[in-house]
Amino acid sequence: MPSNYPGFKYGADRETVSAAKVKALESLLIEKGVITGDTVNSILGYFETEMGPFNGAKLVARAWVDPEFKARLLADCNAACEEMDFPEGMSGAEGEHMRIVENTPEVHNIIVCTLCSCYPWPTLGLPPYWFKDPTFRARVVREPRKVLSEFGVELDDSVEVRVWDSSAQIRWWVLPMRPEGTEGMSEAELAGLLTPEAMMGVATVKV
Amino acid sequence: MFTKFEHFAATSLMGDPEEAPPRKDGHLHFDRDWEKMAFGVAIALSKQGYYEWEDFRQTLMATIKEWENTHELNDPEWDYYQCWVAALEKVAVASGVVKAGELETQMAQLLNCKNSET
Repeated sequence: MPSNYPGFKYGADRETVSAAKVKALESLLIEKGVITGDTVNSILGYFETEMGPFNGAKLVARAWVDPEFKARLLADCNAACEEMDFPEGMSGAEGEHMRIVENTPEVHNIIVCTLCSCYPWPTLGLPPYWFKDPTFRARVVREPRKVLSEFGVELDDSVEVRVWDSSAQIRWWVLPMRPEGTEGMSEAELAGLLTPEAMMGVATVKV
Repeated sequence: MFTKFEHFAATSLMGDPEEAPPRKDGHLHFDRDWEKMAFGVAIALSKQGYYEWEDFRQTLMATIKEWENTHELNDPEWDYYQCWVAALEKVAVASGVVKAGELETQMAQLLNCKNSET
């Protein structure tokens, strides 16, 4: 039976109607004093500028160019965050007790939260939907190599795979290896190479 | 555990690929301006206590389910934020923060204004 809900009636003007509906709602709410013109922008700004994988990318890029910073990042991730120009509170909140583990030619790290979906959101942003998936959470512990190869990461048998299980106490993330051929790149260019997946250990960094 | 309502609201949607907002490279991804505004308004209203976020979530899921029940699953007309707007309208009206009639009047004004300009 077709839906009678007007939101699902498609016409050529569907876009216009949706845009008008949202605009109408927003302006009514502003008229009523429920929200101000800035409310929506500040919520969106939070996702765009404060919390996102760009924070993790900046930390990794700096670690790649500055061995002393790398040592501090590996020793105390939250203290290293405080050295950056991140927004206030970025090393606290749910990002407290973040820890970073380093990929090397000998060891590949991958993160999971087997209990739920603990995730270092100040550095990696919103978790992807599959991070919460029970199949991923169970399989990555049992057969990490197979899961990695399904993500497109083929590892030599000599490489040890370590799985880090995040919890409310420690939220793990990964310092990927700097790829070959990036010797002349600036810190900002290096940061541009990083993806959340690389910092979860389910991808490698590509130039 | 969550200190930021925005983060709580967004991550609570991340369990199910059908329910989760589109993302690109770890960021929320919006194709059109009204999607952004609808996303922000839904969070703002809940943050201010007009409804529980869980109510919005359940309404969104029911709206998506309703769409799936009335369309082929590969229907190219599928649009996540169309469902979002439909759910937002339902919870906003149900909470009493706006009345259905007011919304229609306001919308008609906006649409007429637009038409008379062209």
